Amino acid sequence: MHGRLKVRTTAEQQEAKRVEREKKLKIYTGATKKAFEKRNNREFDEEALKITGEILAVNPDFYSLWNFRKEIFNDFKEKRPKEELDKAFQDELYFLETCLKVNPKSYGTWHHRSFVMETMPTPDWKREIKLCNTFLQYDERNFHCWDYRRFVVGKASISAAEEFEFTTEKIANNFSDYSSWHYRSKLLPILHPDKTHPSGVNEEILLKEFETVQNAFFTDPNDQSAWFYHRWLLGRHQRNLEINTMFVSRKDRRVMVTTTKPVMIDCNNPVALKINDKEVKVEWRNQKSQRKYSTLWLADNVLVPDGSINIQVLMDTHRISQLLSLKSDESESLFTLPFKEGNRFSYELTSSTSETLQRELEAIVELYEIEPDNKWVILTLMSLMKSLDPLKYEQEILQQISHLQNLDPKRKTYYDDLRSKILVENTLEAFELNQQCLDLSDKKLTVLYHTSLLPFISELHLEGNQLVNLKNFEFLQCLKNLILDSNKICDINGLRGLNSLEKLSLKDNLIQDVNDLKVLQTCPNLNTLNIKGNTVCSEDKSLNELRQLLPGVSITS
Amino acid sequence: MASQMKDVEIPEKALKELLLSKHADYIGAYGTKKDDYEYVMTEYLRMNGIYWGLTAMDLMNQLDRMNKEEVIGFIKQCQHESGGIACSVGHDPHLLCTLSAIQILTLYDAQDAVNTEKVIEWVRSLQQDNGCFYGDKWGEVDTRFSFCAVACLSLLGKLDCINIDKAVEFVVSCMNYDGGFGCRPGSETHAGQVYCCVGMLAITGCLHYIDADLLGWWLCERQLPSGGLNGRPEKLPDVCYSWWVLASLKIIDRLHWIDKDSLIAFILASQDDETGGFADRPGDMVDPFHTLFGLCGLSLLGNKSVKAINPVFCMPEETMQRIGIQLDLL
Repeated sequence: MHGRLKVRTTAEQQEAKRVEREKKLKIYTGATKKAFEKRNNREFDEEALKITGEILAVNPDFYSLWNFRKEIFNDFKEKRPKEELDKAFQDELYFLETCLKVNPKSYGTWHHRSFVMETMPTPDWKREIKLCNTFLQYDERNFHCWDYRRFVVGKASISAAEEFEFTTEKIANNFSDYSSWHYRSKLLPILHPDKTHPSGVNEEILLKEFETVQNAFFTDPNDQSAWFYHRWLLGRHQRNLEINTMFVSRKDRRVMVTTTKPVMIDCNNPVALKINDKEVKVEWRNQKSQRKYSTLWLADNVLVPDGSINIQVLMDTHRISQLLSLKSDESESLFTLPFKEGNRFSYELTSSTSETLQRELEAIVELYEIEPDNKWVILTLMSLMKSLDPLKYEQEILQQISHLQNLDPKRKTYYDDLRSKILVENTLEAFELNQQCLDLSDKKLTVLYHTSLLPFISELHLEGNQLVNLKNFEFLQCLKNLILDSNKICDINGLRGLNSLEKLSLKDNLIQDVNDLKVLQTCPNLNTLNIKGNTVCSEDKSLNELRQLLPGVSITS
Repeated sequence: MASQMKDVEIPEKALKELLLSKHADYIGAYGTKKDDYEYVMTEYLRMNGIYWGLTAMDLMNQLDRMNKEEVIGFIKQCQHESGGIACSVGHDPHLLCTLSAIQILTLYDAQDAVNTEKVIEWVRSLQQDNGCFYGDKWGEVDTRFSFCAVACLSLLGKLDCINIDKAVEFVVSCMNYDGGFGCRPGSETHAGQVYCCVGMLAITGCLHYIDADLLGWWLCERQLPSGGLNGRPEKLPDVCYSWWVLASLKIIDRLHWIDKDSLIAFILASQDDETGGFADRPGDMVDPFHTLFGLCGLSLLGNKSVKAINPVFCMPEETMQRIGIQLDLL
């Protein structure tokens, strides 16, 4: 029940409406009763069509009655001669069309139409395309009709090229037709596939599409439909599944593997560990020790023999493996997948070639000069700069984010998180994963992205940010020293199970209750905790409770 | 041809307080006038309607005002020989009403009132080779049904009776360039469909397929200057998207990307202080559907006068705890 305005009426009007409705209701319930009776008696006849038709014309979501009509037509198909049958089906199509005119958004009506078309002996699929054209003319965003159209296209062997042409016409007619832009995104990879290209679409065709979409947003830069499509054209590189890092520690008897995409390791997807070509039995767990997909998997209590050894991880179900050597004088060893500085995160938006991106940037800059306060222009400008050279454009991007927060205050927190993401990524661009200490202090971070890339660090500085919780900190499996002073943290559950954690500083945060610190019981090596400047410290009782919860931990309050 | 923003204006004298007792009276009275025109005309939605009403009442801590025995008796009568449950007595079984029925029975801790084994077998029988689900034996395919199937089986503790990998594969094949999901492969993204697919992936432990930043951005772009949320670009705001959009954002840990205060104001302005209940937007007619989703939205936004709602199952968190379902969200 959508979009029905409440209208104030007089008592007289209300009474008249009541009487009228009572009358209608009597007819309606009578007809419904009769329809169900006929169905129970398996009376598959014209009268049944008439009665159910009258009800469905006013109430097209009455799905059981559509089902009754399907039974009737299945029965007709068995019993009636061809000519009669053809006529009955044609009448049904006509009836459906009148129903759709009254209510073009009823699931039941559209599905019944596809049933009729698939059941009738001689369906005219081309005519259905014309029907879709008509209904999309009334409402170009009717997704029921679009979905029916795609069903018909499959049946009528209409080419992707013809459909693409149709969307071109629709868009020329109305640039803000999100449905047509969407459809293009599905058609392009079918029409002009190119497996070697990150977007999956041929480069020359992409260039033409850029022109079309530019035409749209130069005409109306406030229309988000074209911008969403533009963002897709710029591409989103799908990373292949690879082993991103592999780590072995002789002292901790631990092997750790990270992958570029989440994987599952269980009895159905086993992973073998070989030391000097001999398989060693180990138990793999992810950072949460739960049966769920992850990019980080660890095996503890691995018997790592003395001397120089080779260690190999084999993910047979994914056909990937990695070999790592540990020399006799080494206590640990790390493999990391090489990457080009400035490119670690560019898979997010990599079109084609940087020339294409550069050219797009020039076009958007031109538009930006005319429309300096248009958020879509700024967003696109930023993502292009970020893809081209995140470090070079860092200051400009950060300024634009502040500008966006003024222009578009409803999404202020989204932009806060975006800024945090960019700052972390830029720091990590120049960070070698085998470094022990990472400093991310005083950056106004509202969230910490990419913890999954940091399972090897032992010291992390996050003081002076705006974190409220520690989501995904479980990835920091080697972390010994964590400094979180002067944030807004009220939830530290992300520290669950951090076996290596020894020192934790939570000075000047928003921890209120002792129970919020209970999770630290799952960190067996914790020996030093600073919680000065949190409200939990204001009561001696709480502090005593805390000391009982965490015996052996030196607590500063 | 500059596009004009589709939105509504919130009147200055709009309601700013939550009228809980009026809403409870509205829902409490809804099923009592059984020959009311609206009531009769919506019989094809009865089971969903009861679920909306009861869940709304439970959120307001008023479930005991409803007639439990009558409801359970009604559901029993709606179970079909095939095992599926219909929206009303004499109507046909469908996944949409079967999920509602199982949700109601779970709310009442009375799953045994129906033959659950037959329900499970019927749901299982609707899965197709490509992993999708039919809504009933007539073969309509929609990702809404994928959600209904896994939610239903999960509530009944039998998720493993279907091919989960295939079911997930089908839902993932409906993902679009904006990070969202449509009804079928190739269909346009719609916030209601996003909720179903994100919920389905949450229940099956496969949220890693989602690009949370991309989808979260599309979802928070649903918020209009009025504070209300729409379900697709260039559409009007509607209170029910306070559920579909917010619940999806909650599941992918991006709920804070919404401007809470203005959305709360929009939801409250959609109440009717004469009849009780919520409408789709300020000034329209109320109904139980929007009443539930208005309350659910407020619950997700932190209103403590309604119970906490589970963003995946759209049932009170306390019920989920009772039956021991705890999903790991992003």
